[in-house]
Amino acid sequence: MLPSAGDVSWSAEINGVNKRLNIENNAILLDVLRDQAGSLGTKRGCDMGTCGCCSVLVNGEPRLSCLTLAAEVDGAAITTVEGLADGHHLHPIQAMFAECGGSQCGFCTPGFLVVTSALLDENPNPSDKEIKCAIEGNLCRCTGYQQIVDSVRAASDILTKGLQLEDSTSPKSDPHPGFSGG
Amino acid sequence: MMRMPPFKLHTPKTLNDALNIARELSNEEIEFDWIAGGTDLLPNYKWHLNAKPHVISLSGISELSKLNSNHIGAMVSLHDLAKSKYTHPVLVKAADSIASTLIRRSGTVGGNICLDTRCYWFNQTEQWRESIDWCHKCDCGTEADCRVIPNQNTLCVATYQADLAPVLMCLGATIHLASVNGIRSMPLHNFFELDGMTRNVLQHGELVTHITLPEDVNEWKGDYQKLRQRESWDFPEAGVAALWRMGTKGPTQLRIATTGLESIPGLHLEEANNAISKWNGSNTIDTLADAIRKSVKPVQNTWYSPSYRKKMVKVLTKRACAGLIER
Repeated sequence: MLPSAGDVSWSAEINGVNKRLNIENNAILLDVLRDQAGSLGTKRGCDMGTCGCCSVLVNGEPRLSCLTLAAEVDGAAITTVEGLADGHHLHPIQAMFAECGGSQCGFCTPGFLVVTSALLDENPNPSDKEIKCAIEGNLCRCTGYQQIVDSVRAASDILTKGLQLEDSTSPKSDPHPGFSGG
Repeated sequence: MMRMPPFKLHTPKTLNDALNIARELSNEEIEFDWIAGGTDLLPNYKWHLNAKPHVISLSGISELSKLNSNHIGAMVSLHDLAKSKYTHPVLVKAADSIASTLIRRSGTVGGNICLDTRCYWFNQTEQWRESIDWCHKCDCGTEADCRVIPNQNTLCVATYQADLAPVLMCLGATIHLASVNGIRSMPLHNFFELDGMTRNVLQHGELVTHITLPEDVNEWKGDYQKLRQRESWDFPEAGVAALWRMGTKGPTQLRIATTGLESIPGLHLEEANNAISKWNGSNTIDTLADAIRKSVKPVQNTWYSPSYRKKMVKVLTKRACAGLIER
């Protein structure tokens, strides 16, 4: 008979907000983020490290949250897809995924956005080979990947050439259309 | 959703603490696993493959993460190994070919060396394995027979599919182990044991601390070639490392090692020495590649057939040795 897991105190800075939670001793980060921290943008795909849907940034590095024990990242800064945008001002990679068709059914999109935002942070002007290498652990069954590579290249142009992003406070790009939040 | 079996996680901050926890658990005859990056262990646990009631994490032990030209800590990530300026170029190629970028961020050198052997009768969900009445490697107390070679339940033939071992063996690596009883070292090719369940010489409570490489490591040139279904990610169905030191009339030393073909990686010293003693350029490479093909014995437990994997070993050996005749 295996022993049951106990409760332990756990804290992390999730999308810039300090969170203190009681988690199971052997909890997986994905479960903590989705079930306790409320980050439903972090998707549970294969749960085995194959699809990359659950990718998050741990201290700026992309990690598979389904293969990360929460206790091992106690005290870390964690960024999920919800933490990429600045309010209604989308991150360039988010805007370009919408613009270039990088997102179709959308299920894999959070993982791609997290991984490619980390790539652009590290290397704002990646080659196609570097883009493909960065997303090799993320599966997409809709786009055929070309639009995703195009989206990253377009976001790279915005970042490196100082191109202006359309004001994303307009209703067109409102992440919650029809909901004023007021 | 895969349900993780319950276990108690220990997160020591020093090697001594980790070894002491291991000793306490061993004294109480409680089973446990070490966890390094978790990219092998956690999927296996989610599939309820030989889960233990206690797990000791090595992620907080900074002394296991040292990396330079001749010293590779067990907890160095595969990503850091591949990106380091200290890493031998062939080791960079092997490390960069492992799984995906995301897996390499978490996966470690020690974890890769100690990778659990794989078999398509074993790496399946609990329900799938129950439907075939289990197998020898995870028999759930039923004493089930091996599904690959029936009527023998004394040996597991699951395949060792890690990429670093053949390159490290060719570079003359030494592996260093620690337990509460002390430390010990051995050439890496002596670390492995020909059984898919025992896998290596690690005793209960013992772990890999680091790997050292000889001083002359940068004088060795070579290549690593692997066969896999999807280039972006899969385990090797066959892998061949070839490393050599060049003289004026050809190679003066040559080492060939293989992975993904048997329960342990193979170092093919005899075949390589024969090639050196009868060196005649591309003809020798053809003969060598054929000798390597004949020396490996894959079984039907990965996605490609044994005959195809053997055939590809010859091709991969020739490709890995191509640098020997390039001018």
